[in-house]
Formats: sequence, C-alpha cells, structure tokens
Amino acid sequence: MSGELLALFTLTLVKATPLIYAALGGVVGERAGVVNIGLEGMLAGGAFTAVAVSYKTGSAPLAALAGVACGAALGFLLGVAATRWRVDQIVAGTGLNLLALGGAAYALVLVFGRPGASFAVPALGLRGEATLIALALVAALVIDRVLAVTSWGLHVRAAGENPRALDIAGIDPLRIRVQALVLGGALAGLGGVFLSIGELDLYSDGMTAGRGFIALAAVIFGRWTPLGATGAALFFGFFAALQFTLQQSGIPSELMQALPYLAALAALAGFAGRARAPAADGIPYARE
Amino acid sequence: MTGRWRAAGLAAAIVAGVGSIAMLAAGANPIDGFAQLFGGALGDVDELAETLVQTTALLFPALGVAIAFRAGLFNIGAEGQLVMGGLAAGSIGAVLTLPGYVSIPLLLMAGALAGGGWGAFAGFLRARFAANEVITTLMLNVVATLFASYLVGGPLKSPAATASETAILPHASWLPELVRDTRLTLALPIALLVALGLRYLLDRTVFGYELRAVGEAPEAARRAGIAPGRIAIAALGLSGAIAGMGGATIVLGILHRFNVALSPGYGFIAIAVALVGNCDPIAIVAAAFAFGILQNGALAMQAGAGVPRDIVAVVEGLVIFVLAGRQYLTRTVAR
Repeated sequence: MSGELLALFTLTLVKATPLIYAALGGVVGERAGVVNIGLEGMLAGGAFTAVAVSYKTGSAPLAALAGVACGAALGFLLGVAATRWRVDQIVAGTGLNLLALGGAAYALVLVFGRPGASFAVPALGLRGEATLIALALVAALVIDRVLAVTSWGLHVRAAGENPRALDIAGIDPLRIRVQALVLGGALAGLGGVFLSIGELDLYSDGMTAGRGFIALAAVIFGRWTPLGATGAALFFGFFAALQFTLQQSGIPSELMQALPYLAALAALAGFAGRARAPAADGIPYARE
Repeated sequence: MTGRWRAAGLAAAIVAGVGSIAMLAAGANPIDGFAQLFGGALGDVDELAETLVQTTALLFPALGVAIAFRAGLFNIGAEGQLVMGGLAAGSIGAVLTLPGYVSIPLLLMAGALAGGGWGAFAGFLRARFAANEVITTLMLNVVATLFASYLVGGPLKSPAATASETAILPHASWLPELVRDTRLTLALPIALLVALGLRYLLDRTVFGYELRAVGEAPEAARRAGIAPGRIAIAALGLSGAIAGMGGATIVLGILHRFNVALSPGYGFIAIAVALVGNCDPIAIVAAAFAFGILQNGALAMQAGAGVPRDIVAVVEGLVIFVLAGRQYLTRTVAR
C-alpha cells in the first residue's frame, strides 16, 4: 500500500512539474499585466526545440538550454507584440499557439523526416528529471520572493496594477512587461523541456495536450500568486496522476481531466473566495 | 487604402512570404509549391467543391467570432461551441426518424441551441460574476470536448462503432449534396444566409445597434441605458449559436454522425478568418474562401511539393498575430 502511495506521490510530482513551470510563467506575465494565452505554444516550442537540438548535438543539457531559449524567444515575441505593436495580447496569444504548435509539427517533418513523432533522442535521464522537479519547487519560492521583495518584482507588480504610476516614476512599464514575458516564456519553455526530454525522450504532435491551458487555470485558481499557482498545479497534477490509479474504478476519466477547468471556472465566478486579477491585467498600456 | 484591404493585403503578404520561406526550407521551389497549392484547391470541380467545404466549416465559427468581437467580446470558445452543436445534432439525429425537411431544420436548430447555450453561459459568467470571457470560453472549450468524449465513449456510444462516435444518422437527415459525390452540401448556402442575416442584424436592427454601441463605445452605451450584461449574454449566445450550427452542419453534411474529432481547430482558425474579414460578415465570406483554399490546397502541396502541410497553421497563427491590433480589438477589456 505504501508502495502505491509513493508511486502516486512521485507521479503527482512528475505530472505537476510542467504545469508548475508554465503556471509560474503565467503568473509572472499576468502580474506584469499581460495575460499569456500562448503558454501552450511555449510549452510545445520548448519541448520540440529541446528534442531537435538533442538529436543534432547529442547533448541533453544543451538541448534543455535551447528549449528554455525558445520559450524566452516566444515570450519576447508576445511581449513586443502586446506592448510595442499594440496587438491585442489575448488574440495574439491564440495566434502564438497556432504558430508554435504548427511550427513544431512542420519542423518535425524537416528535422526527422516524418510527421507525428520524433525518434528517441538523448534525454536528461532520471537524475535530470529529478533535478527539474526540485528546481520547479525552488523556482516557485524564488519567484515568490522576487515578486515580493526585489525592486524588479515591485516594478512587475506595478506594471500589472498601476502602470501609469510606474511610468510617472520614470520606469517604462512596457519594458517591464516584455521582461516579464521573456522570463515567463523561459519558464514555460523549461516546462516543455521537462515534457520532452525530462519525462520522456521524444517529441510528438499534441504532446502538450492542453497543459498550457491547465496552467492558465492554475494561475487563476492560485489567485495570481507563485505559491498559489504552484499549489494549484500540484493539485491538478495529483488528479492527473490519480487517473492512472483509478482507471478501473468506473469514475469517468473525462471528469478528472475536466477538473482543472471546472475549478478555474468556479474560481473565476468567485466560488473559491475572492480571486482578483491584477488591476491592469490584460489591459494594453499606452505611454503618453 | 482602407482598413479592410490592408488586413487582406497583410494576410496575403504573410502567406506569400512565410509560405515561400517554408517551401524553400523544405527543399521545394515556391512557384511549384504555390502552383500545387492553388491547383489542388481550385484545379477542378471536385477540388473546388472540397475547398468550399473547408470554406463553409470556417465560415460558421468565423461569423460567430466576429459578432462577439463587434460587441467588444473575445469568443475564443468557438471550438467548444462547435463541438456542443455537433454533439446535439449527432445525438438527437441518431434517434430521430423524420422526413428530411423536418429533421434537418430541427437538428440545425438543436446544434444552434446547444452552441448558443454554451456561449451564453460564458456571457452569463461575465454578466453575473465579471468573469473574463476569454478565459471562460477557453476553459469551456476543453470542458465541451471532454463532455462529448465522455458521452460518445459511454452512454451515447453506438454499439456498432469501433471508435468513440454516435450511430450513423438516418439518410433523410443528411444535408443534400450540391455537387454529386462531393462533400459540398446545402451547408454552404445556409452559411451564406447566416452571413447576410448578420449583416442585416448589425446594420438594421436595434439589437445590432446596441451590440455595436457596447463594442465601440461601452461607456456611452452604458449611459444610454444599454445593459452591457444583457448584451454580453446575447452576443456570446448568438456567437455560440452560429458556431454550434456550424458543428451541426459538419455532422449532417460530412460525417453523418458525431465524432469528437469533428473539428481540426476550425474554431481557432476562425479567429484569423474573422480578423482578415475585418469582422464584417460579407468580407468574412471572402476571407473564409481564402482560408478554405489554404486548408484544402495544403494537402496537394504536401503530396506534390513535399512541403509539410502544418505550415498552414504557422501562416494562420502569424495572420492572427499581425492582425490582432485591428480596430475592434484595441478596446480595453473590463473585468
């Protein structure tokens, strides 16, 4: 029995880790005032890039870095679009998802010469997987502290709550938003790296399976805080792990899969207490 | 250059530019690649018919997305509304044995009601709890797919089917073909009628005026006594109803049963279509045809020129990305 519990615990951590990274990425973006619908695409971009680089170089650590860089680049793209180009961030995020998922599917054929899935590539291995799991929890604590006590964290929160005030104080809120999205993209990219060469050793189309949207739900359910979102991601990861254990129990697996989304809907409707988004979250800011 | 043409021009430039680069990267000659794409989409009657099938499938959700945009609302949930519409049409249609002239309108209405209810629910959450409709419609997409997947995997599963799908509909409930032995059906003229109806609704009715007022000048609309909550529910309900009817036409016209995989992301591509069409119902018809060419031609391009068809998704994503700054979308979203 305790063996089963341990297995469930381990699987919870494995399932929660990519969600934690993506949700932390989402939190950083939203606290700076940008809703990141593109998390799903950033996960896919990070996951694919890691596999492609690992295949070409044979080095899993280098591949992990490349995956993070890809996420950061996508974050930068969304950040610049949402601030400088004044593109609607939400619609742009939807476009980013199509772009990144389609781009990964396209590049998969170019790099591996076949559609659907890559070959097995050198992966991070058990130790690397465990490191990334631990790092996710550390990252949650670090980001919590960074937002709470550092001056950059203060700027991020100001960009999300009252960008005008930040601007008047002489700091460009748009620059802060771009920085936050680059960091958020890098985190989501690392989540993708974990999916492809941490938990597994390949990329397949659709492997992100809506985790970016679950992460978005975790951000809301976690009330836009790093620790809250991490808790929510662990909670959702637990139910994802439970699905494997309860496969024969007669509880429809779809109900378990729907749980994160239903929880987020309930949180949005205020059933889970007062969940409040940053005041300027999702609202474009125009400098005068 | 008017805004409408600029959107279309930008989109065309992206298709030509990114398409060429992607073809070169795949080792194909762009001229050959585009020839394959257009030939495959427009080359003969059968190909043109299939392009129009894709046009139709995109047109319904794009019109839905556009009507919500016009009210200043982001309906990212067309995909889920489409699934709910298809589910209603497929599950009711499987047990309905009536003449086609009764069952077809009935099932299309059922699809519209289901999709409309799904959209209106997001509108209700916004009106009652100030829940951002972007997030709720996004979440409801997945809930819809999971709900449908549960139903057709269990309670509604056809005993004869090996996959997760409902039983096949009686022949009378199939939408009549427009061109023999193609998948082009009455769904296309129905979609065109919906486009005309929306144009009339927006331009000539009080509701259309209120909807545009809320979208274009929310504060002025509020002062004029238009309740934004009521408009949110009505606009998202209408938006979902159109997408839901689109789902029903896929079931009645193409699959003849409901299958969870009935849409390869039409609800998301529809956002690009609505943006290229500048959220104008008639211009969207043209935009949907252009995207229909891309969707259908991509297969021929892949087979003939060896360029992976997924490049179409990249192009569609970029089009959304670049056009998302256009006029209906620059308004701030109140929470």
